[in-house]
Amino acid sequence: MKKIEAIIRPQDLEPLRIHLENIGYPGLMITEIVGHGKQGGVTHQWRGNQYKTSFIPKVKVEIVVQDKQVDKLTEGIIEVCNSGKVGDGKIFIYDVADAIRIRTKETGNKAIE
Amino acid sequence: MFKIFKGTRREAPDQERGNLIARFLKKMRDPAERKYFYTILAGKALGLALFFIMATAVTTYFFGSKAHADSGAVTATTAAPAAAAPAPAAAPASAAPAPGSPPAVPAVMDQVNAMNTLWTLVAAFLVFFMQAGFMMLEAGFARTRETVNVLLEGIVDTALCGILFWAFGFAWMFGAGNGFIGNQYYFLMNTPATYGSTGVAMLAYWLFQFAFADTCSTITSGAMVGRTGFVGDLLYSLGVSGFIYPIFGHWAWGPDGWLNTIHPAAFHDFAGSTVVHTIGGMVALTGAIVLGPRIGRKFKRDGGGPMPGHNMTIAAVGGVILWFGWYGFNPGSTLSALDAQGCARVAANTTLAACSGALGALFFMFLRTKIWDAGITVNGFLAGLVAITCPCYWVSPFGAIMIGLIAAVVCIYAIDLLEYLRIDDPVGAWPVHGACGIWGTISLGLFATGEFGAPSPTGADTSAGALVKGLFYGGGTDQLVAQIIGNAAIGLAALAAGFVLMYLVNLTGTLRVSKAGELEGLDVHEHGGTAYPELE
Repeated sequence: MKKIEAIIRPQDLEPLRIHLENIGYPGLMITEIVGHGKQGGVTHQWRGNQYKTSFIPKVKVEIVVQDKQVDKLTEGIIEVCNSGKVGDGKIFIYDVADAIRIRTKETGNKAIE
Repeated sequence: MFKIFKGTRREAPDQERGNLIARFLKKMRDPAERKYFYTILAGKALGLALFFIMATAVTTYFFGSKAHADSGAVTATTAAPAAAAPAPAAAPASAAPAPGSPPAVPAVMDQVNAMNTLWTLVAAFLVFFMQAGFMMLEAGFARTRETVNVLLEGIVDTALCGILFWAFGFAWMFGAGNGFIGNQYYFLMNTPATYGSTGVAMLAYWLFQFAFADTCSTITSGAMVGRTGFVGDLLYSLGVSGFIYPIFGHWAWGPDGWLNTIHPAAFHDFAGSTVVHTIGGMVALTGAIVLGPRIGRKFKRDGGGPMPGHNMTIAAVGGVILWFGWYGFNPGSTLSALDAQGCARVAANTTLAACSGALGALFFMFLRTKIWDAGITVNGFLAGLVAITCPCYWVSPFGAIMIGLIAAVVCIYAIDLLEYLRIDDPVGAWPVHGACGIWGTISLGLFATGEFGAPSPTGADTSAGALVKGLFYGGGTDQLVAQIIGNAAIGLAALAAGFVLMYLVNLTGTLRVSKAGELEGLDVHEHGGTAYPELE
């Protein structure tokens, strides 16, 4: 089992959800975060003067899937969120030791079907 | 000069401040630099003089000594409603002038006139509603962590002001006494039925003026948002509402205020560009200086920028609510529904100055930054409103548009000035109220059309000697000089008194909160929780 953690732009969330619906996915969690990578922040304007923010709002999408689904889902995420511009985001893949469905106490791949 | 405050502030600022004057004086010791400075100064003075000569010449050529194009004729129709006013209690003491002849001499009303009292009351309610506008504007321009503090200060400043203005504020401001302070009507005792000869019931007039005093005291809190201790706020509010505003306001608006007696032209401030806004703005400035900037505030010249507010929605709506309340602030100052032309003229001028202020700020900022800036547009129309507050009774609609437009530009440069001087004013209280209050007061000396004199319960006094005429309409510099004298006197007095007040409050240790308190937020530190508990 693997957890796919994707950091994407907030405006890509809805297109991503629709795309994932089409290709099938077990479920997902999102968290609204702020952060920065190489982009380093943006400059905005308030009452006539510029100010720099170090952090940019992003959305973190987490999906726990079976090993065989990882490629399909990561390709899907890249397809939707790749715009060619700096700030597209990143995907991290983690190993998951186990998963348990609370209602039925199933474990392993059956828990995330 | 600022050195005396450095040691008493709670904490050292992030960067060195206040040596601008020292550096300038050092530079001036070099004769070459001195010569350069004088040359530049002379050039600017020459440019300014040329502008005034051109403006006077052009306007005198096109408009002669009267403003034909925008004349808002005062007809005698004000006389008819005066005769028919349904006043079951009393009728105006003086006979209404015959229909068809304009009222040359102002009417004297020493018995209560229901229409005028009603209008004054309604206007007072509108001005009071400006408190809601101020609370929203300041909360929107503040950060989430100090929002409750801003809101509560708005309410408490109002409540304190009411009690103080009842006890001795009104007495010092509107009681007869001497040229500098009043000495009558303490605790609103032994008051006549009406205030002076306005025909307005005494307590209605008191309420109207309380709302004005409340406005002044709220302006000062704007520049001190985010790092002022609540007890410190109570203390300085006491000082502004109880002492600074009534006493310096008496000079202009008291029955025997000394600014009414200067020659050859008296100082005029219709609804308070000087009395309310300049005083408020100056004290706000002193507060911001003595407090120092918020922690983490880096200024433009050091590579930093403003700390954005947390809610543009409430700030912008609050600004428009202020605009709405201004329809009580300015037209209400006629104190007379019977002066219908006056009320209408003032309301129209108020509107047009706000419109041109908004557009002026919007487009000027777009030219500078290529951004349609919402926050600066709000400041822009407020600047226009502040500026028109003094001259609104005496200028034409065209003049109002010009005054508002220039106010927007003045406001933007004033924001730049504070940023350059490293003074942290989170809402722009001094640029909008202080700087544009000064401009508005002076603009009367330029744009007054010369058609109207002092307002009276039935209409403007249009007798020859009473007309208020400005430089651009052939009135010479008399009024301009009077305006400069009045604004400088009250403004500088407020500045000095403000510094004394803030310094004293600072000595008690309650003016600025501790560093830890400021970082965790005033809401949590002093008010027991955040403004948005569910979003925690």
